[in-house]
Amino acid sequence: MNEEIAFWILSAIALLGALVAVRKRNLIHGVFALLVFFAGLSGLFLLLLAEFIAAVQVLVYIGAVGVLLLFAIMLTERVAGDDDRRMTSRGWFWGLVVALAVFVVLLLPAITSPQNQQLSSPEAAQTIKPSVEELGKKLMDPYVVTLEVLALLLTAALIGAVTAAQGVRMPKEEDSPE
Amino acid sequence: MILVLIDILIATVPLMVIFASLFAFTTWLERKALARIQNRIGPNKVGIPCTRISLFGLGQPAADGIKMLFKEDIVPRGADRLFHLLAPILALIPAMLVLCFLPLEFPWTKSLLPVQAFLLDGAVIFFFAITGLNTLAVFMAGWASRNKYSLLGGMRAVAQMVSYEIPLVLSAVIVVMMVGSLNAAVIADAQTGFNWFVFSPWGFAAFIIFFIAALAETNRSPFDLPEAESEIIAGYFTEYSGFKFALFFLGEYIAMFAISGLAVTLFLGGGDGPGVTMNLVDQGLATEAFPGLTVIWFLMKIFALIAVMIWLRGTLPRLRVDQLMGFAWKFMLPLSILNIFIAGSALHLMAGDRLADLDETQPVLRQLMEGANLPVVAGLWIGALLILYVAAKGLNQLNRPNVRPREYKYAE
Repeated sequence: MNEEIAFWILSAIALLGALVAVRKRNLIHGVFALLVFFAGLSGLFLLLLAEFIAAVQVLVYIGAVGVLLLFAIMLTERVAGDDDRRMTSRGWFWGLVVALAVFVVLLLPAITSPQNQQLSSPEAAQTIKPSVEELGKKLMDPYVVTLEVLALLLTAALIGAVTAAQGVRMPKEEDSPE
Repeated sequence: MILVLIDILIATVPLMVIFASLFAFTTWLERKALARIQNRIGPNKVGIPCTRISLFGLGQPAADGIKMLFKEDIVPRGADRLFHLLAPILALIPAMLVLCFLPLEFPWTKSLLPVQAFLLDGAVIFFFAITGLNTLAVFMAGWASRNKYSLLGGMRAVAQMVSYEIPLVLSAVIVVMMVGSLNAAVIADAQTGFNWFVFSPWGFAAFIIFFIAALAETNRSPFDLPEAESEIIAGYFTEYSGFKFALFFLGEYIAMFAISGLAVTLFLGGGDGPGVTMNLVDQGLATEAFPGLTVIWFLMKIFALIAVMIWLRGTLPRLRVDQLMGFAWKFMLPLSILNIFIAGSALHLMAGDRLADLDETQPVLRQLMEGANLPVVAGLWIGALLILYVAAKGLNQLNRPNVRPREYKYAE
């Protein structure tokens, strides 16, 4: 009962956020609406007792991606961020059809699978071990090589980004005391 | 349904009330302490109204609050009215929200223990995730004000917070390694009986890094560039007046309490102290000499950290922007990564051949200390301290600014 109420409220928040994010022409408003959507999604994860994913959703999507988007807007020329015209697009009908199709394809297995009808969420919580602990053990034991390779890849990307952003370096001026 | 709501209120309202009143007291304390540092007297007039009792000016916060309430609320004409209104609220909410991840057990919340938020398995991650939202509020305020100085302050705040979050989290990793859990109550529990993590060399280094990064995260002096009044007026809250400004102020101080509380939980033993035994296994977080003693110890430790913050604010000048960024990326980040390496290898060496039969459900460091070879441990600790000291010195030397001695043309 309580979970259902929370589910509907969170879904409404997420849907509204997503809708505003798409419809708003004002970029900054759009970004913040997108963040509201992420927050709603994180609440939904929390409702499914996946608290680690909820925390990471907040940490990565709201904390990092949101700030990245805002930085991108700030560093882009000729985007003032405040244009209040409504967004209209000619292909909206086909967009809607594609979105609905994806939705149905994603939802069908979830509805038709027999497992989901048996296990209600509190029971599932009792049978599944705490997620963070299990995740940590899995990452540190069977998947440790994958983790290291991923970390290396990300570091390489970081260094690459810094190098690309620095551009061509000017020849250094002599700065001796004399 | 109603019962759940009542339980939620019992758990949350005291947190808000206690920390908001501590905020009032802290503003008074800060003004008084800063005044003494600067050889002034500070607020000393306001006491009990309609009498001549002044109580060292303790009524000043109430007077300030009333003043803020009655001030005119000015919104600039070009401002984005909605965001201008939402920003102070968004600044306060995350700061208040993270308080529930501190392992504070009030006498009246003992019956709620299994549902407390600090018992979540990812409480520490949640803490960092939600504190990060503060950045957005600051940016929102800076952007919505439609003022160059506000926007500059907002941009500075975002850059600073994003940079200092990394050493903050990396130094918390040390503690997670020593405990083997992200649960705030388990972390506090692992330090019972003065086995505080600040007493180990890597823990000490991590505590210092954490504290400096926490200063930067909460925009405290010497890292108060986002609100540097001599450069950009008041930064992101230049255009705020009245109670919206008070909300920013409140949010900043609550964030200070929250991050000091996390420092206390991670490094200073949580509610541990004389008369308290942490034992999560039995009912409740701790056995205490009288109810509420853990909370008293916890708050006293928070106040010790706040006092250091006030002291630093009265002592140190503000950093320049390039110094700030250089300090984060060239000093704090390498040092905290090195610290993780040192902690990892030291723990590994201490474990020796017992590595395979460690109990996963018990704190790692406590198990390693039991039956460890004392000379080996002492050697490891002194070695770790030496390496950290040399590394800090070396990094400091590498980061020396390349400036010539000033030439005086006409003053010789």
